[in-house]
Amino acid sequence: MSNSNHNAGADILLDIRGLKTYFHLDEGTVRAVDGVDFTVPRGTTIGIVGESGCGKSVTAFSILQLVEKPGRIEEGSIVLNTGGQNRVDIAALDHDSEELRQIRGKDIGMIFQEPMTSLSMMYTVGFQMTEAIRLHMDVEKDEARDRAIEMLQAVGIPRPEQRFDAYPFELSGGMRQRVMIAMALSCDPMLLIADEPTTALDVTTQAQILELMQQLQEEFGMAIMLITHDLGVVAEMCSEVVVMYLGEVVEQADVDTIFHNPQHPYTQALLESIPRLGHSHEGRLNPILGSVPDPYHRPSGCPFHPRCTQIITGRCETVHPEISRLDPRHTVRCLLHEDPHG
Amino acid sequence: MIQYILHRVLLMIPTVFGISILCFGIIQLPPGDFLTFYVAELSAQGESVPEAQIAQLERQYGLGRPWYVQYFLWMKNIITKGDFGRSFTWNKPVSDLIWDRIAFTMLITLLTVVFVWIVALFIGKYAATHQYSLGDYIATFFGFIGLAVPNFLLALLLLYYSLQLFGLSPAGLFSPEYQDAPWSVGKWIDLLAHLWIPIVILGTAGTAGAIRILRANLLDELHKPYVITARAKGVPERTLIWRYPVRVALNPFISTVGWTLPDLVSGSIIVSVVLNLPTTGPLLLGALLQQDMFLAGSFILLVSVLTVIGTLISDVLLAWLDPRIRFS
Ligand SMILES: Nc1ncnc2c1ncn2[C@@H]1O[C@H](COP(=O)(O)OP(=O)(O)OP(=O)(O)O)[C@@H](O)[C@H]1O
Ligand code: SF4
Ligand SMILES: [Mg+2]
Repeated sequence: MSNSNHNAGADILLDIRGLKTYFHLDEGTVRAVDGVDFTVPRGTTIGIVGESGCGKSVTAFSILQLVEKPGRIEEGSIVLNTGGQNRVDIAALDHDSEELRQIRGKDIGMIFQEPMTSLSMMYTVGFQMTEAIRLHMDVEKDEARDRAIEMLQAVGIPRPEQRFDAYPFELSGGMRQRVMIAMALSCDPMLLIADEPTTALDVTTQAQILELMQQLQEEFGMAIMLITHDLGVVAEMCSEVVVMYLGEVVEQADVDTIFHNPQHPYTQALLESIPRLGHSHEGRLNPILGSVPDPYHRPSGCPFHPRCTQIITGRCETVHPEISRLDPRHTVRCLLHEDPHG
Repeated sequence: MIQYILHRVLLMIPTVFGISILCFGIIQLPPGDFLTFYVAELSAQGESVPEAQIAQLERQYGLGRPWYVQYFLWMKNIITKGDFGRSFTWNKPVSDLIWDRIAFTMLITLLTVVFVWIVALFIGKYAATHQYSLGDYIATFFGFIGLAVPNFLLALLLLYYSLQLFGLSPAGLFSPEYQDAPWSVGKWIDLLAHLWIPIVILGTAGTAGAIRILRANLLDELHKPYVITARAKGVPERTLIWRYPVRVALNPFISTVGWTLPDLVSGSIIVSVVLNLPTTGPLLLGALLQQDMFLAGSFILLVSVLTVIGTLISDVLLAWLDPRIRFS
């Protein structure tokens, strides 16, 4: 892969390299994630953007080995640095190993798009929260209860003692997502993965949840990996952005660079597709010229070439671009920026 | 919860009332009444019935009076004296004939339900979590066979082979030496040694069906977001499957108990005849064939009431298992 010292300077919490996650279906293989590289610095919020189906969720699920059959992590490493020299490659762990289970919910918490179905309706909020706490912390039942109530309070749930005994179906969508956040953060993780956490909520609640996440980050200091369609949210919440296209990361840079000096033609097209950023709170991605290719037939060469306006005819159709590093924390995968030393 | 159970018990009263009227209708369906049969039967044997006895029976059961009076008297005798009427074929009070048989029927039925549940739970969970594996195919294959082979055939086959291969007959619930012996440890062991055969036979079809239901339900639940949430929390896989998706998949399973019970009771008739079991089945069959009205009607009434109770139990179980039902 590209140069080995490319993370020098930044304190990297999660380092994903060459991640490939495929779905083996009867109709063929869907290469949902096909060589994803990016890093998450400790304590920062990083946004993952890209059109629907580009592999954002599959990437997120891969990080905790939550991809289910017929999906499978084929290649790559997901190295979590829990501090000092403690590095573990999550991709190499057995899917039901104690080691992996200790990372799930402890080092990395996760919340999902659908708060209405992400909690079990069979058990109380308290049961589901203390279950996580007692799996990872050496505490007695009543201490776990105190911890859960404290977390419910922290995510702004009124009357947390009563909510502790409530069933999820007694709560609104926004409240359930707060419970999910409280649960994900209850064991003080270093990373919170949030896969479109507000898509299913109404606009006011969306804003509240995002604000809550920001506030909790200041309080707990965890890194956040925020998957979203909303570039407005990215501008507001994230310090770095990862842009994905067809299962690859095409560009990663800090948020200013992405918005004001994007280098990849796809990133540029993505930004042009939103009319006036900052003026409209509906900063959703509009379709870019052409459409996302059929997942079974990935274009040869640079996967973006059929839709690229800056295509280098004769090269882009055949040569798959490598990652080029423009700055210590700005990478791009495009032949226009080929690394002369790479 | 207590309120819910009370509510359900109160609902049972009109149901049982309706059932008892229906059963009484069945008793009244054949022309004539049981007394005319009784007198005819006895005089056919050359015996005469004393006028006083006929008059006494007529008064007791209100025979010859309008049907609702007869119904009222029948119910009154049942409730106040436990008197279900007389069986004219046996020339005995019905209550002398049925309680033993009801008890054995309930024993066999309940054990069969437990057998079906336990086997179906483990096999169904395995089949769902190992979808399309060899084990899943084997479970499906035997499931279809279990569904397709009639119970009485299974009973006959079992009888035939145990005679051919081991030279012993598994028929009945007791070995000859214990048949009329008083209850003892030995008799219990003998009962248990015989009991598994009807349970397996009666349970096969139910198990096969339950495996299919549980497997399908579980497959629906296994990939739901709440399961992924639990996995993302670090819950061990084994705990996770039992605690989350199985718990939900059990719901439709438990609500089927209501109709599993009467199914088992009626399905056991032929098996009981074949296996010569002292359950309600053979006696009910005989009573129906010989138009022994009070006997038949009482059986149907009791079995129906037991079914209603079974449904109640399954509903209470469901409410206990699923907070959404408890709260609505
Ligand atoms: N269980 C699955 N079986 C088969 N293919 C799948 C499965 N899950 C995802 N995929 C495929 O993987 C690709 C990436 O999906 P993914 O859900 O990661 O997209 P996404 O970027 O999260 O999109 P969205 O913005 O709509 O959430 C898609 O082409 C999808 O069809
Ligand atoms: S490699 Fe070629 S086709 Fe791909 S984005 Fe760059 S210029 Fe466009
Ligand atoms: Mg997604």
